Amino acid sequence: MGTIGQDIRYGVRMLVKHRLTTLVCVAALALGIGANTAMFSVAEAFLLHPVPFENSNRIVALVDSRPSQGIDTNSVAPATYLEWKAQARSFDEMGAYIWDSINLTGDREAEKAQGFAISANLFDVLGVHPLMGRTFLPEEEQVGKDQVIILSYGLWERRYASDPHILGKKVKVDGKTFEIVGVMRKGFDYPKPAEAWVPLSFNAEQRTIRDSRYLWVLAHLKPQVSVEQATAEMRTITAQQAQAYPDPYKGWNLRVLTIPNFATDDLTRQYTFLLLGAVGFVLLIACADVANVQFARVTGRHKELAVRTAMGASRSRIIRQLLTESVLLSLAGATLGLIFAMWWVYLIVSHMPPEVGRFIAGWNTISLDTNAFLFTLAVAIASGIVSGIAPSWLHSQTNISDTLKESGRGGSTGRSRHRLRSALVIAEIALALILLVGAGLLVKGFRALIVVHENFRPASVLTLSLDLPETQYKEKSGRAAFHEQVLQRLAAIPHVQSAALATYVPYANGGGTGVSPFAIEGRAPEERGETTSTIVETISPNYFRLMNIGLRDGRELSDSDGDSTPPVAVISKNMAKRYFPGENPMGKKLKIGKANADSPWMTIVGIVDDVHYTWVDKQEYPTVYRSYRQAPPYYNSLVLRTDGEPVTFIPAVRSAVAAVDPNLPLFDVLPFDRVITNSIVGIAYVAAMMAILGLIALVLASVGIYGVMSYSVGERTHEIGVRMAMGATSKDVQRLILRNGLFLTLVGMAIGLPIALGLAYALSSLLFGVKVADPLAFLGLPLLLAGVATVACYLPARRAVRMDPLTALRYE
Amino acid sequence: MSDAPTLIKMEGVKKVFYTDEVETHALEEIHLEIKKGTYISIAGPSGCGKSTLLSILGLLDSPTDGSYMLNGQPVGKLTISERTRIRNREIGFIFQAFNLIGDLTVYENVELPLTYRGTSSAERKQKVQNALERVGMAHRLRHYPSQLSGGQQQRVAVARALVGDPLILMADEPTGNLDSKNGEAVMELLRDLHRNGATVCMVTHDQRYANFAERTIHLFDGRIVEETKEAGVSA
Repeated sequence: MGTIGQDIRYGVRMLVKHRLTTLVCVAALALGIGANTAMFSVAEAFLLHPVPFENSNRIVALVDSRPSQGIDTNSVAPATYLEWKAQARSFDEMGAYIWDSINLTGDREAEKAQGFAISANLFDVLGVHPLMGRTFLPEEEQVGKDQVIILSYGLWERRYASDPHILGKKVKVDGKTFEIVGVMRKGFDYPKPAEAWVPLSFNAEQRTIRDSRYLWVLAHLKPQVSVEQATAEMRTITAQQAQAYPDPYKGWNLRVLTIPNFATDDLTRQYTFLLLGAVGFVLLIACADVANVQFARVTGRHKELAVRTAMGASRSRIIRQLLTESVLLSLAGATLGLIFAMWWVYLIVSHMPPEVGRFIAGWNTISLDTNAFLFTLAVAIASGIVSGIAPSWLHSQTNISDTLKESGRGGSTGRSRHRLRSALVIAEIALALILLVGAGLLVKGFRALIVVHENFRPASVLTLSLDLPETQYKEKSGRAAFHEQVLQRLAAIPHVQSAALATYVPYANGGGTGVSPFAIEGRAPEERGETTSTIVETISPNYFRLMNIGLRDGRELSDSDGDSTPPVAVISKNMAKRYFPGENPMGKKLKIGKANADSPWMTIVGIVDDVHYTWVDKQEYPTVYRSYRQAPPYYNSLVLRTDGEPVTFIPAVRSAVAAVDPNLPLFDVLPFDRVITNSIVGIAYVAAMMAILGLIALVLASVGIYGVMSYSVGERTHEIGVRMAMGATSKDVQRLILRNGLFLTLVGMAIGLPIALGLAYALSSLLFGVKVADPLAFLGLPLLLAGVATVACYLPARRAVRMDPLTALRYE
Repeated sequence: MSDAPTLIKMEGVKKVFYTDEVETHALEEIHLEIKKGTYISIAGPSGCGKSTLLSILGLLDSPTDGSYMLNGQPVGKLTISERTRIRNREIGFIFQAFNLIGDLTVYENVELPLTYRGTSSAERKQKVQNALERVGMAHRLRHYPSQLSGGQQQRVAVARALVGDPLILMADEPTGNLDSKNGEAVMELLRDLHRNGATVCMVTHDQRYANFAERTIHLFDGRIVEETKEAGVSA
């Protein structure tokens, strides 16, 4: 222990003595370790603890998937769920839930709350208990007995001022009277972002549905039952279902996911791993920089270390001494890195719009917790060892007898040391190039996402959503009349150019649109070997013009397309190309649902440009547009093109809607450009972080190459003196040094480019707008890196040519 | 002295350095016996192999061929860690360039061999104090080498060599970096140590200092070509 204390004391003394190099190393490590700590905090929240349940690895989600359509995670049908629940033996409890936005009215101002209809036992599955009151009773799953509601802590606090006597009180939910039976604990908002829960009930008809998948199923594993065992049992059950009912199960496979895997989607996982990889690269580059500095420092101390060896210090003792210094350096870097990480985490958390963050599993748990501190400590120690081991090991092989002689330079390991230092620089360049290319591609992809929406001119558009309660608007005519009046009133607001209605606004709700099966008259879906599904947009006729969606063929929907005229539809270009190749779709008929569904056949009257609904999809999805007058929706969005700042119209819009129905809450009232930025905020984060990491990598790599070339010039001073004495000109010497540095740069780039190309392929499959053969990424960024490396080599080269040959010749 | 036990015995020791394709024979057929309490000097012109021989004697290097017994134990083929352990416990070094560590104080420099030996802090303190008193440097405990004159630095180096009570002191041109006055003083110090029972083996190219030793062996082209004995040196 005492000798470790001595090592530490001496190490501190050494670091203080070489202040400048210590500062450079600490800064490099702080950037690397800080970025890793911040990213660890994010990854911990997304990957390890996305849900706040104890034993979350014992809770599984049972989901459908359809690999042929690239569907990884899908909800399941009621009949499927009910059979699973009856037959499965691997679980203590199995429950289900569905999204169920609710309008709270009656006692206070109308408000739209994010609700979920859940099975009575769902809270038991999750192992959570209410703060007040109770959870649902099994009998409350029956239609007619299901008018009870549980509030989230947030809703209870905000809407009901934390009323301690709230239990038993009545509230109006979608026009019906519900009794409040419980309030959940603070922070519990699962399924995210739940504000209220109502019982999930099925009528007799719903219990038999197998082909409409809308339930999310969760189950709690029995003790001693593994996920694999449960999966095996469930596969047996689903195989029996598929045998008994081949049609609805054809092509669908069961997946059993632990709830952390279920809560964080695959895309979030992929981007989290991408960023973890990127920060890992930055740390490796920082370690390579520090290792190079350590090489120089250890070389400068070769005599001291030889004396220690002569005095009886063993090789391991010398290595320990040097590693102690290296780890001390890392710990100093980690300390600064923690501050950097705190700042980074603050930036990450504070820049997320709350209306987006509440949907992201684990988002509100992102913080520098104990695990992050332990992680930082481990990374610091590992970094210290990684950056210190090679210099220490190589030095320990030095010939001490030579070194101790008056002019001995301990050069027996000089060549291997040089080789290793060169290898480190090559690795730095390769890693920096990969990061730069990744960052460049993501930034370009992100920019493409912004550009693709410029056609909408989103800055002057206001969007909002509303949900008509079924009890009040059961009749089609009532819904149509409501929409008609609202649109008229909105259009009459001063400085509103036009107001339109649509089911889905592009990029709203995180790009979620939902798709429906459809049938083409005279054609069976199986005929083409494809599942025919489409986004169904119910719009007002002026929607296309308001959103600048171009008409390609036929006509738009018109005001005359009403309930009494033949149903018509406009389809997207993509749909025409995909389902009517080589045909003219005009006049053809299609219907939503299967061919034998009750919905009417609609005649195709026009083709419009494709609309990109989500940044996740690389290609636009087929879309069918129909008139709201022919199919008036319950749920819809409204869009207003304005002459001014869209947010200034919100009060007038609220009044206009309230004038038609004062009990109808508006929600998601946002300018369209905010909707778009909210939707792509995740990828914006990734692009911004990659860009920052790419820049850090560029700086660190240039510091690395500068350090090595600078050291190399120092080492070759005598040689340079001889060359100059033999007649070498300044340019000759400069060329010698530059050639050396650029050779290392080119080798690093030659190694990095193929890996960067692989990354580009991976990113191009992840993100719309990323192209593999990107000239910026594969020409511009390598040139930038080469340019920076040239400058980093030029500075030592300039120093070399300024040497006095006589002094250089005397240099030993 | 002839009755004293043998401390060092070398037979047929060779040292060959290989550099790329060049073979340099630094030592050839060295036969040497040193008894405990002897003061021996190794003399010869520059490049004759004096320092190489001292390095092998001090276990800083190993012979290419031949046998080397130190205190009755064969040490020619020891592992690096075994050599390190023996060097730490049984050999004290004094270098021409002093080789004090600039970032350690006088006390810490002298303490170094004891640290690597695992000696307790209290014992280290006492031994360092004693060693520094023996060379007259106890008043400079907290100084750094750069704050001392060359002669003082070499005294500290001698204290560092002495502190672990080694079997033999190996001095490689200990006066090489000193002026004549300081050189004489260091030589007097070594002679005092020898008179008190220390075995000293010193490399020098200066005949004046070689005469301080009881025996001088002369090297030329890696071979012992002559041995002389000084009468009454220990008187």
